[in-house]
Amino acid sequence: MSRPPLPRIGVFVCNCGTNIARTVDCEEIACAAMEWPGVVVARAYKYMCSDPGQEMIAEEVREKRLDRVVVAACSPRMHEPTFRRALASSGLNPYLLEMANIREQCSWVHDDPRAATDKALALARAAVARVVRHEPLEKRFVPMNPATLVLGGGIAGMTAALQLADAGQPVTIVERADRLGGNVARIDLTAPHLDSARELLLGRLARVSMHPMISVLLRAELEQLEGYQGNFTADVAVEGASRRLEIGSVVVCTGYKEFDAARVEGLGYGRLPDVITSFELELMLKRGRIEMADGRTPRTVALVHCVGSRSEEYHGYCSRVCCMTALKYGHEVKSALPGAAVVDLYIDMHAFGKGCEDFYRKTAEIKTLFLMYGKNAPPVIRPAGPKDDCNLLITLDEKLSGEEIEVPADLVVLMVGMEPREDAGRVAQLVNISRDKDGWFIESHPKLDPVATTTDGIYIAGACQSPKDIPDSVAQARAAAARILAKVAKGKIEVDAIFAEVDAARCSGCRICGTMCPYGAIEYDEEQKSSRVVEASCKACGCCAAACPSLAVRARHFTDEQIFAQIEGVL
Amino acid sequence: MNGDKLKIALYWGAACGGCDVAVLDTDEFVLELAAEADILFWPIAVDGKYEDIRALPDGALDATLFSGAVRNAENEDVAHLLREKSQVLIALGSCSAFGGIPGLANAVTREEILERVYLDNPSIELGNRTVPRTRVPVNGTELELPAFYPRVWRLSDVVDVDYLVPGCPPAPERVQEVLAALVSGTLPPRGAVVGAAEKALCEECRRRKADKRVARFVRPWEIVPDPESCLLEQGLPCAGPATRGGCGARCPDINQACRGCYGPPPGVQDQGATLVGAWASVIEAKTVEEAETAFAGLPDVLGIAHRFTLPASLLQRSCR
Ligand SMILES: Cc1cc2nc3c(=O)[nH]c(=O)nc-3n(C[C@H](O)[C@H](O)[C@H](O)COP(=O)(O)OP(=O)(O)OC[C@H]3O[C@@H](n4cnc5c(N)ncnc54)[C@H](O)[C@@H]3O)c2cc1C
Ligand code: SF4
Ligand code: SF4
Ligand code: SF4
Ligand code: SF4
Ligand code: SF4
Repeated sequence: MSRPPLPRIGVFVCNCGTNIARTVDCEEIACAAMEWPGVVVARAYKYMCSDPGQEMIAEEVREKRLDRVVVAACSPRMHEPTFRRALASSGLNPYLLEMANIREQCSWVHDDPRAATDKALALARAAVARVVRHEPLEKRFVPMNPATLVLGGGIAGMTAALQLADAGQPVTIVERADRLGGNVARIDLTAPHLDSARELLLGRLARVSMHPMISVLLRAELEQLEGYQGNFTADVAVEGASRRLEIGSVVVCTGYKEFDAARVEGLGYGRLPDVITSFELELMLKRGRIEMADGRTPRTVALVHCVGSRSEEYHGYCSRVCCMTALKYGHEVKSALPGAAVVDLYIDMHAFGKGCEDFYRKTAEIKTLFLMYGKNAPPVIRPAGPKDDCNLLITLDEKLSGEEIEVPADLVVLMVGMEPREDAGRVAQLVNISRDKDGWFIESHPKLDPVATTTDGIYIAGACQSPKDIPDSVAQARAAAARILAKVAKGKIEVDAIFAEVDAARCSGCRICGTMCPYGAIEYDEEQKSSRVVEASCKACGCCAAACPSLAVRARHFTDEQIFAQIEGVL
Repeated sequence: MNGDKLKIALYWGAACGGCDVAVLDTDEFVLELAAEADILFWPIAVDGKYEDIRALPDGALDATLFSGAVRNAENEDVAHLLREKSQVLIALGSCSAFGGIPGLANAVTREEILERVYLDNPSIELGNRTVPRTRVPVNGTELELPAFYPRVWRLSDVVDVDYLVPGCPPAPERVQEVLAALVSGTLPPRGAVVGAAEKALCEECRRRKADKRVARFVRPWEIVPDPESCLLEQGLPCAGPATRGGCGARCPDINQACRGCYGPPPGVQDQGATLVGAWASVIEAKTVEEAETAFAGLPDVLGIAHRFTLPASLLQRSCR
């Protein structure tokens, strides 16, 4: 048997202009590296990531027949992909690269050139020791099932479904209720343009129910979801019977429920019949008659903002739609009952949406009385006495005047906020996504990736992610559909070459690892009595490898041997 | 004496004698063994003196089974002697293989042990200051006692060992297998762990396993464990996930959490640290306080996790 040939390593040290070279002696590192075992070429250069820099690496790989490359430069988060491409372009497997971070970890954080250079030397030596143990890795591909399950058939769910179906891809909407539409179906007109919610919905409902690519399951519950992106299996119970769906992606559009106003005792909801919630007013508006419990017509209608929202006791967040909805009620009350007075009790007026500030101004013009109360000091409502010329009395500390005042009203409408549905925790567990401190589903990145989640193939859209109005819900739904269509267009999913593997010969089936995986990538094989990693779901975080008490999990590209070699290289 | 017969010896260092009992527990097999082999030395069962062994030429014994850890000079001297005289040296039981229960004494120093046992102990006669010493004058002559070492060692720390047979004590069926392989000359290449499995105990444990989530560890008396499901999932600190299989899951079978007596699974260096890692992985805590509550049911983590392997761990011993 022939001995394996010695490695042929190239070391490339980057000056990063003066970013590195100012503090670290890059030439010294290149000189020293020539003495290290296996190193056949070591060069310093001004900008390694520039085209000439990359070309230099590729050329040396070809000329000196290098089989391993170390780049001592910036953080691998910055340019590892760049240099991997450089290796690939010269015919070398891109995973035969290791980077030593001598910028963020050396020149940027140290002043003493000697000490910084010594540290850079140690890191470069460690990278050389590690790269010897690198193995060529290949990316893998798994098929992408183009079908999508949309969980929840509110405005967000219907929008996502239509966009996917219009692009020719099959969709199943799983809706718990006996009809589609969600909370928008409970609304009369929509703020700020005062369009009819019914019309908004009707067109969509018709298209959804006629669409050949959409099937709608009503009175349906998602019971179980297994598999990984591109290849999920969902068990759905439809009126007791179970159905199995094969899908590639899931869009969660489960929306919100309204805050229970009875929790704020001083408001009297549940005790005082003429204190109602916004949804109860919507119902009256839809029926076309605003009336008190005894059938009389109210002369003064008071609107109380932020019920359950922006408070220390209930929810800290703003529910985002109540302010504009309250203004909308101002208009609707005024047009239905031209003689009635409208009193609007708010904390701050949040009119941030497009056209909303104009809407606010218009409402002020129709003679609404605006009163301001303090956060955490909600108004108190009590029945009026027999001598009062009204039905209810509202006491509040009015902030603009600084006085405690009493306002008469016949009907009080509480602008109840939004909160996560009761079963949001169960849904999160079913599809393996996380929730924030308030219980809303968490997106993958709050700014840059707002509809994906930490589980590949699971998307969130609409008010289940946080309180939202219709335009934002629709935008998210369309974004989620676009994300899925992009994957469907590719036809297959690339699985990074770095993932964890379970050695079945070592695995005792103890199932310690199962709970550890934040991405639900570990499956237990009941027949083999051992665990296994679903490559397509694994993000190579390494938790399972660290936790496995049998050393059965091997994290590719982060093996114990590689890490120990790196540590020894530093010492 | 038949010259073809195997010559073997059994010895105990710092041990409880349980391993010897495990050999006897092979029942009639031990008689077969006595027929197949000459047992030249076995303090618990056969008459014999150190002098007899010293008189043998080097390598005269085919095999020695050495149970117990190395706690004092006598243990070490005999270990060297038996190593010289034996072709094959087998560390029998977890004390010999990993330090075992006597190895837990490494959590304190030699001085603390002597103080506690001979001077500061309620059952000691008032004013008594007698502490063991290596040399004691008695009636004009001097008696010698073996030196008590500052720490406990595994057998392999003092001499080369050919095989490890883990277990506290090793299961008699496993002991029988090893002895039978010895007699028939079918032991694997030197350096192996024999009489044990190649996977962790959970593999042979018959309990139903789920993904593990433990809200709080419990003491054994706090619950009556469900006989079907995994004990660790019920909050008992079961060492099974980080313990080499081979015993047949004796303890889980009788509703007791595994105590870890078969030592670490293949490749694992530090059983105790690995166990703590495994236990910490499955607790449900999100905050430091919750983690503390979860671990409150494990009052002596070192003692529980390193119960059989402290001298073989990365910690090895107290450095006070
Ligand atoms: C009083 C009030 C007035 C409003 N007025 C306006 C307005 O004028 N203009 C505006 O832009 N916005 C308004 N909104 C906001 C609007 O209601 C939301 O933006 C919109 O409903 C969000 O749609 P969605 O599809 O995300 O959620 P939802 O409408 O809540 O729909 C969710 C759907 O999912 C279903 N579902 C939930 N869980 C499950 C499950 N586990 N399995 C299956 N199905 C499930 C539900 O049955 C429902 O059909 C108002 C909100 C309130 C509270
Ligand atoms: S490779 Fe990194 S260190 Fe070098 S020039 Fe580019 S950014 Fe700077
Ligand atoms: S932790 Fe290790 S031994 Fe246990 S099931 Fe997972 S891979 Fe197998
Ligand atoms: S490496 Fe991380 S993501 Fe991959 S299977 Fe293990 S725990 Fe899950
Ligand atoms: S942890 Fe203990 S009880 Fe659970 S499967 Fe493993 S050995 Fe059995
Ligand atoms: S179950 Fe554990 S403690 Fe009990 S005998 Fe087996 S290995 Fe030893």
